[in-house]
Amino acid sequence: MGLEFNATLLAQIFDFIILLIFLRLVVYKPLMKLLSDRTEHIEKNIAVAEQERQEAEQLKAGYEAEMRQSREKANEIIQKATKAGEDQAAEIIESAKNEASRMRETALADIEREKQKAMAELRDQVASLSVLVAGKIINQKINDDIQHGMVREFIEEAGELPC
Amino acid sequence: MLSLHEVEQQLNVWGWPPNGSWELVVGNTHLAFNPKTLIMTWVVMVLVVLFGVAATRNMSMRKPKGAQNILEAVFEFIRGQVNDNMDPKKGAALLSIVVTYFIFILFSNLIGLVPTLNSPTADYNTTMGLALCTFFIIYIFGIRYKGLGYFKHYLQPFVFFLPITIIEDFSKPITLAFRLYGNIYGGEVLIAVLLGLLGGWIHVMGGFIASVTWLAFSIFVGCIQAFIFTMLSIAYVSQAVADHH
Repeated sequence: MGLEFNATLLAQIFDFIILLIFLRLVVYKPLMKLLSDRTEHIEKNIAVAEQERQEAEQLKAGYEAEMRQSREKANEIIQKATKAGEDQAAEIIESAKNEASRMRETALADIEREKQKAMAELRDQVASLSVLVAGKIINQKINDDIQHGMVREFIEEAGELPC
Repeated sequence: MLSLHEVEQQLNVWGWPPNGSWELVVGNTHLAFNPKTLIMTWVVMVLVVLFGVAATRNMSMRKPKGAQNILEAVFEFIRGQVNDNMDPKKGAALLSIVVTYFIFILFSNLIGLVPTLNSPTADYNTTMGLALCTFFIIYIFGIRYKGLGYFKHYLQPFVFFLPITIIEDFSKPITLAFRLYGNIYGGEVLIAVLLGLLGGWIHVMGGFIASVTWLAFSIFVGCIQAFIFTMLSIAYVSQAVADHH
């Protein structure tokens, strides 16, 4: 059996070229487009994901800063309020002390006045009693008993005096 | 025990003309065609087209399935090979040709394993046709990317190498064609020989094991030969377009 090529060879080349053209138009074109679309899609997704991550990090940093700031502000407000409360308390105590000392002074002044009044009255009484005692001494004989009785009487009278 | 010729006659259920050919006379030239090869080639072409259309119909970017997955895997694999071997810009034009080589040769090799059908690649006219395509593509790519300077490589490294480089160039399509033809034709012959040798009751009692083993091995050989043809075509073209330094 010899090796005889015939026109089948040309027909096969022709067939192959037809098949190649057909597949190129119908199969490879959409397939290549699909593959490049997929590559693009994946690349885009990755880029978007990275961008979103960065944005999220920025947001997070912003929120953290804000939170820190508001915490500081809250602390400040609390401190201020505490200080104001303490100040007010001190003021109240101060005014209460002032009031108390004022009242005491008034009371002392009253006492002093009453005392002066009482002393004046006492002095009047003593004078009149002395006059009375002198009168009695003159009226009665003086002995020890009388003297004693007189003194006791005088003391009793003096003790009854309001002073 | 039947001879190879007898087995072939018994398997000829499609009524191929024995040793016949289609004759076509155009003017003074007399053209002869092998009807079996041509018809099987058309069947393979229809199958390849059906596969291609099935794979690209309703393509989904997010959820590929079925034939689309297979086509994508083949395409991506061969594209990887092409891009490994040459500049992807130059390889883009070659890509569709070698993918078609692979799919067409694979289908041709495998269809011969269906009982009563034949591989178009079991005819050296087919394989030589494909190999000549590669042969021309080598020159087309070489001249396209290097101009007429492409032919300088025949004189390298010395002028005396001219006969050797010319022989090398012509050996490329011949080895491509006969490697593929020999493997596939040999596989088909052995299938027929096994049927003749272990026919009848011997086949039923255990002779089928040899046939089944050989069929399974032929599937492997068919895939490998399609792959080799594709890879060698890529390698030859990449050699032609590579920048020598």
